[in-house]
Amino acid sequence: MLTMCLSFLASCVAVKEYDKVNLSDPDMVLASKKADRNITTFHSYREAAVGANGGKTGGGCGCN
Amino acid sequence: MVVKQVVVVVVTSFKYGVLKSFSLILFTLISTQFAIGQSQDFTKVYKKRVLETTEIDFLSSYYSQDGDNAAVSGGIGTEELTDITAAFIVSIPLNDDDILTIDAGISAYTSASSSNVGPFDGNSPADPFVASSGASQSDLWANVTGAYSHSSDDRNDIWSAKLSVSSEYDYFSAGAGGSYTKLFNEKNTELLINGNIYIDTWNAIYPTELRPFAEGGRRLSDPLFTQNTITGNPNYNPNFEEFSNEGRNSYSLGIGFSQILSKNLQGSLSLDVIKQDGLLSTPFQRVYFSDVADSFIENFQLADAIERLPDSRLKIALGGRLNYYINETFVLRTFYRYYTDDWGIKSHTASVEVPIKLNDKFTLYPSYRFYNQIEADYFAKYEAHLSTDEFYTSDYDLSKYAANQYSFGLSYTDIFTKFHISKFGLKSIDLKFTYYDRDNSLSASIISTGFKFVMD
Repeated sequence: MLTMCLSFLASCVAVKEYDKVNLSDPDMVLASKKADRNITTFHSYREAAVGANGGKTGGGCGCN
Repeated sequence: MVVKQVVVVVVTSFKYGVLKSFSLILFTLISTQFAIGQSQDFTKVYKKRVLETTEIDFLSSYYSQDGDNAAVSGGIGTEELTDITAAFIVSIPLNDDDILTIDAGISAYTSASSSNVGPFDGNSPADPFVASSGASQSDLWANVTGAYSHSSDDRNDIWSAKLSVSSEYDYFSAGAGGSYTKLFNEKNTELLINGNIYIDTWNAIYPTELRPFAEGGRRLSDPLFTQNTITGNPNYNPNFEEFSNEGRNSYSLGIGFSQILSKNLQGSLSLDVIKQDGLLSTPFQRVYFSDVADSFIENFQLADAIERLPDSRLKIALGGRLNYYINETFVLRTFYRYYTDDWGIKSHTASVEVPIKLNDKFTLYPSYRFYNQIEADYFAKYEAHLSTDEFYTSDYDLSKYAANQYSFGLSYTDIFTKFHISKFGLKSIDLKFTYYDRDNSLSASIISTGFKFVMD
């Protein structure tokens, strides 16, 4: 992962603040929307996989 | 600077008298303080507040599912469940740099399958496909989380810490966590490290018919068996022992890396490693063995045992997001995750969402998500385990399956917050419908809403 990160980083040109208008669009956020939180939580109950998505990684039995 | 000027003025006072010198000292001190104040004002660097004003999010959802593989009844039976959740998230800027967030939620569910923890207290004959009316048919879950975050003056370093507690009838959880985020490369690159720990405790509830077989129980002399007729094998003798350890601990460590790739493209990678130990089995989930004769009361098969799973689990999840700003109307949001654990489960998750901006107020959110997993080493369907197995479960959440999910959302945003409730203006409304379909009979739908208010 570290190698991937470094190569990822090396390949990029820094975008200036004044060029980040499109990147600042709320839909460009690199995370789930806050309003989708309950959907992510139900996934953590019904599916074995958790993590790497900003959702729960522990706490609660998830048994219902 | 102040001290030096005072000394100069005191020396002068010997020449012109005490009163005059006192006036001079006073004048000098005041003027010096004024000068320093002026200097501070001129050199003060403008710093944008991390959060301009108090924000309140109100989130709610209505969830409904059904299926034919209830874990409570050993892999057969109704999985019907409804859940209503509501939560308030209040974010308060304490100053330019610090934010306090309080997140409080409550969730109430009604479950046909968990009602069958005690299937013999209903008005109709006990049956795994019929809900019972006992106390286990519903429960309430409550959660409070407090989080504090601090950003450095240049906004390139962010520290946060949180504490949480949650409680339901048979489960209590306390958690703590923290994270550190570093931005660099002109805020084009971001590194995140976070850790969480949860200390949980079960208040184990066992299937009704097994309780008489706990230590000191009356076994087949219990009224459950004397007042009901056991059909099939009348010499019912389950393999049952109560759990001695009811604790469950979870530890997670995550690292994240995000990068701006162009004016319209950015992506992230994240890795979570989660270790759990303690009671990882669910005490009220039945198992039926193929090599044990079946016993019934009414239409309900009596448990041969309860689920037994290892007392430790290591989970690893590697995920990535890539978002592309296509134009003023469309954005492409993608997500992929690979997951593996030492119980033998491997899974892939992929999703795509294309927000469509209709105008400056309304945005549509169509999305599709695919998920699949291979089963845990300890999973087998109804009546497929052997009583000689060390571990066993018939929980279909640990089975092999694929799931498709379709969502459609609508968002309303008013940047001028014209609509008010007291001092709070409505900034946005989110509404989403999601349909989830697994290829092993379970399907679910969820309606979720979100309201965001900001303080004037």
